[in-house]
Amino acid sequence: MADNGSNRKDPKSRHDLADRLSPEDREKRALRDKASIDRVLRILTPFASVAIAMMIGSLFILASGHSPALAFSALFQGAFGSQRAIGETLLRSTPLILTGLALAYGFRSGLFNIGAEGQLYLGGLAAAFVGVLVGGLPWFIAVPTILLSAFAAGAAWAFIPGLMKARIGANEVITTMMFSYIGRYLVSYLIYGPLSDKSGIPQTAQLPPNSILPRLNTLLPFLQPTRAHTGILIAIVVAVVVWLVLKYTTLGYEARAVGFNPLASQAGGISVSSTIIKSLCISGGLAGLAGAVEVMGVYGRLFDTFSSGFGFTGIAVALLAKNNPIGVVAAAILFGALSAGAGTMQLEANVSQKVIAIIQAIIIFLVAAETIVTWLVDRSRKKKAVAPVAV
Amino acid sequence: MLSEIITPDLFAAAVRLATPIALTAVGASICERSGVVNIALEGLMLVGAFGGTIVALLTGSVWLGVAAAVLASLLFASLHAVASINLRSDQVVSGTAINILAIGVTGFLIEMIFGRPGNVGLSDNIMAEQVVGHPVRIVTTIQPVFDFPVGGTGALAVIWRWVDTIFFSYTPIVYVGIFLAVFLTWALFKTRWGLRLRALGEHPRAADTVGIHVLRGRWVAVLISGAMAGLAGANLSLEQVGGFSDSMTNGRGFIALAANIAGRWIPGGGYIASLLFGFVDALQLKLQLFSDVINIPPQFFLMLPYVLTVVVLAGVVGRAVAPAAVGKPYKERG
Amino acid sequence: MADESVLPLTPSVAPASASAPILRLEHITKRFPGVLADDDVSLDVSSGEVLALLGENGAGKSTLMNVVYGLLASDTGTIRLSGDVVDIKGPRQAIDLGIGMVHQHFMLVEPLTVTENIVLGLEPTRFGVIDSAAARAEVLDISQRYGLKVDPDARVMDLSVGMQQRVEILKALFRKARILILDEPTAVLTPQEVHELFGIVRQLVTEGLAVVIITHKLDEVMAFADRIVVMRAGRVVGETRPRDTDEAGLAKMMVGREVVLRVTKTDAHPGENVLEIDNLHVMDDRKLEAVRGVSFVVRSGEIVGIAGVSGNGQSEIIEAISGLRRPSAGRVLLRGKDITRSNPASSIEAGVSVVPEDRRRRGLVLEFDLIENITLGDQRRPPLSKWGILDRRAMTSVAKKRIADYDIRTPSETMPAGNLSGGNQQKLVVAREVGRDPELLIAGQPTRGLDVGAIEFVHKQIISERDRGKGVLLVSMELDEVMSLSDRILVMFEGEIVAEFASGDVTEEQLGYYMTGGGKADRAMQAGSADTKLPRGEHG
Repeated sequence: MADNGSNRKDPKSRHDLADRLSPEDREKRALRDKASIDRVLRILTPFASVAIAMMIGSLFILASGHSPALAFSALFQGAFGSQRAIGETLLRSTPLILTGLALAYGFRSGLFNIGAEGQLYLGGLAAAFVGVLVGGLPWFIAVPTILLSAFAAGAAWAFIPGLMKARIGANEVITTMMFSYIGRYLVSYLIYGPLSDKSGIPQTAQLPPNSILPRLNTLLPFLQPTRAHTGILIAIVVAVVVWLVLKYTTLGYEARAVGFNPLASQAGGISVSSTIIKSLCISGGLAGLAGAVEVMGVYGRLFDTFSSGFGFTGIAVALLAKNNPIGVVAAAILFGALSAGAGTMQLEANVSQKVIAIIQAIIIFLVAAETIVTWLVDRSRKKKAVAPVAV
Repeated sequence: MLSEIITPDLFAAAVRLATPIALTAVGASICERSGVVNIALEGLMLVGAFGGTIVALLTGSVWLGVAAAVLASLLFASLHAVASINLRSDQVVSGTAINILAIGVTGFLIEMIFGRPGNVGLSDNIMAEQVVGHPVRIVTTIQPVFDFPVGGTGALAVIWRWVDTIFFSYTPIVYVGIFLAVFLTWALFKTRWGLRLRALGEHPRAADTVGIHVLRGRWVAVLISGAMAGLAGANLSLEQVGGFSDSMTNGRGFIALAANIAGRWIPGGGYIASLLFGFVDALQLKLQLFSDVINIPPQFFLMLPYVLTVVVLAGVVGRAVAPAAVGKPYKERG
Repeated sequence: MADESVLPLTPSVAPASASAPILRLEHITKRFPGVLADDDVSLDVSSGEVLALLGENGAGKSTLMNVVYGLLASDTGTIRLSGDVVDIKGPRQAIDLGIGMVHQHFMLVEPLTVTENIVLGLEPTRFGVIDSAAARAEVLDISQRYGLKVDPDARVMDLSVGMQQRVEILKALFRKARILILDEPTAVLTPQEVHELFGIVRQLVTEGLAVVIITHKLDEVMAFADRIVVMRAGRVVGETRPRDTDEAGLAKMMVGREVVLRVTKTDAHPGENVLEIDNLHVMDDRKLEAVRGVSFVVRSGEIVGIAGVSGNGQSEIIEAISGLRRPSAGRVLLRGKDITRSNPASSIEAGVSVVPEDRRRRGLVLEFDLIENITLGDQRRPPLSKWGILDRRAMTSVAKKRIADYDIRTPSETMPAGNLSGGNQQKLVVAREVGRDPELLIAGQPTRGLDVGAIEFVHKQIISERDRGKGVLLVSMELDEVMSLSDRILVMFEGEIVAEFASGDVTEEQLGYYMTGGGKADRAMQAGSADTKLPRGEHG
């Protein structure tokens, strides 16, 4: 429905225009308008969702007797207020980029890899183990080897759920979730047992220097010292690679086709079951990378609680980014900022860090229910347009 | 050693441990039969457990706690219903959002009410009194319903002990669970409500065209599953654990979904499937007592329920057919 | 096309009631984004008459009746029942007002029984518990009253399509419908079942019902309607009676120009075998044999049409040839190469192209743009991809060429395919499949839901493929189409080929006979076997 604002005041000319357009042109015009509306909504919804979520978060803060203004300013300070803060934000964004990519890639293929947390642990495990083994090699061999093995570990952990989904249609939400619990118990056993560094604390041995990702300020000396490490660069590179794969490779094409329409994909010669397995394994591998990067960059070792739910936050990141790999980077930085600022918010404004989880949940909720935003936008458009011309 | 493991209390423990999963699975069957997927059951159970603990602690009445558990779950279930039914969003995603929201809100409220993060137990009476400002009755977990004498020797007494343990040793919500499983199975196939519910899950537009309110029917189903999850949470916190911790549900909501699939979307079937999980859970706990003898690390026992879930799904899925319209949002006339 | 000696039902001689019509539509308008479906439509229907609402696909007939049934809300206009204005907010009100509708896609809950489906929403109960005995009795009662025999305890999913339609009609009658709307009721029926259906309609009309039949089939309109209202592009363009017009006249009103009712084609000059099917056995999803020992060939330069009621194994044959389903026995040869065990990818490679029966579900990825849809099936081969990397520029140029060659109307090739009209979507599928220059083209229901212009286009493509020396296998429920396009016609019934004709050597009525198992009974009697099967339409 075209909004012909210029014709609004002149009914006669509007009818003339309508008569001059052939039915085909009218249809084309309407279709083009619909496409551009869809594009606008696609960008608008995430921002609106974040804004609304923040507002609801404010209500919770008020309810607990504190000042939202103070809370959010403390949050901002903690996330962006100094070079150190920005470094902290980048630090926390790094695993979120990778888990966001994991979830996004899965979603694009029609799969909900809710068990990313478990695959992340397996990836961290691989990093801790292989990292020690290859410590003697130069870093440009050690680091890629560790990353590859972490990817493989995460992919392997997603393989059986992928196989079950492809062969018998088993719901991957349930299976990957189960594997997530199994994986965490497995890692726990290993950390307390065979892989422990025997120090009494449940953690693995310290990684040798060549297996550790250097801090950003080591790479770029003009920066002030922060905990941010080169993992963020790796994560961004991976995001670009995923984007390229989805857009320019047969693998990505088939993954997307199956995600939209498995029946038509099958008729078009795509093997739906092998695509499902590949996609879930790639998703698992990306989550595994997240675990590896955390181990290699932040702590230099693996211990039981090294992940604060990165796998689950990845869900919000992917959804907010509408499963677009480049958008994932932006969304991950947003959530990294929330996480970095949460501590300051707790300290200075006395507000519970759980507010962040609440905001995160509401964002997911709103992105999933985008009909609200569609409805709002549609209503405001209806008020502006008079009788449609292309009808 | 076998005789030390296979005892009547093993089976009783199986029923007890199965109950939260079973209640939730029964609720899941009703919900999915109407066409709505409810991934949020995990979070609803958590919220129920939370509401039950807090209210019981602060009011001194476990029964008010149970009521609060159900109400809290209904509240969160309404969110899922609004999103899935009225706003037609992706049901799995909105369910996940509620799971995360549940963890966030419960943790937030604990900090807000008690001034510190972490767990809350029914034994935290002093803290409760500080919050409420006056003395509060001390509460403990709900006791079993029956209390028959079990003394004596001889074969008859041994048999009686078995019977008493396996059938009469449970807390009230356990019995409620059994009753609801049977009742809802009957209702699903014999009542007008059940017939209409099944139509909603298979072909909602057909139901709409003969005058059945699709959105309303689905709302009722979601709320029923919410209430069941709330009861499950109350059972967990007020009959078993005696408190709340934010990881206490530990995946039971997801296992319940698998149990529902194994039970072919029949409430009674989901209940029976849950008993299997309960049994493995009970067995695993028993075996942990012998872990030094068997020499297997505890984590492997803890893994068992989850491994079992995967195995069950592998064996069952594909042969069990879901309601045709499950997971698809429904649009009324345009 | 109807042979009137075979269909002896005469339209009602008595004119429809001269008093106020039972249903009157006044100035109904309904818009969707981008299209004006109904434009100021007014018409009326009287008790005791059969009104045919005629128009090609997309003319607005179904939309109009969906407004009457409350499934859609009109933008303007009023509806009057027996003179009084009514506001129909939904199907519930429509039913209460005595309006019943049988849709093209049935509104039946498949796992439930016939009785449960009929009483759904009006179940006899005692304190909320369903009284099954009472329900059953009520269903049998109404079934006998109108002579529509059904098995009350059968599950709907086990019934034939014709039988399911009966259940739908009973549903409406159970709710005391005074107006019955049938949307394209004969699309899925054999000629015999069509005959039976109109017998039922006649009887209902004698009892005073008003029946509206939405259709695009000219021969049926001429044979069965009392009055005809013709719609085109959302408007009523004419109203007439069968005795005042003929098929050509109706077609002209429907389309707005002279319409060639029969496809013109030159004689076929078939060459060597392109496709050989040898004793093929295929199982369906329920592990029952859907194809039972079928053998036939398709030669280059010929069109072989398979006629049959849907569900007799045609879909499974197509799936077996295209690699979507593995046969349990037998062979499929394409130009001598054994492709029995191939998957869709290798069968595409061997030269099989399929225009599937359901373009939205199996033919296109609606969220992909036109470029990516045209790529589907070729995404692993040069020139569109090399070493697993897609060549987007090649993809775009191929797409642009196809869009031009096949006259696909779209503002841009980067638009989602779901935004295209039905006709353009089908053109897109045809463009992709034919553009691949296959050896064998399989077309399943290729013109379903298309307007006349698109139908002509698709038919032209099929004939041009045949004239270029390719083999074409056509599967369609539209007997007109099968008869006019095919060079040879095979009839399938219950998984077997029961008859073969050269086109021009057979009438529609003969085809219908074999489609419902007639030939089988004859053959069985000849063989002296006790294993006779009644033709489908005579089952209770």
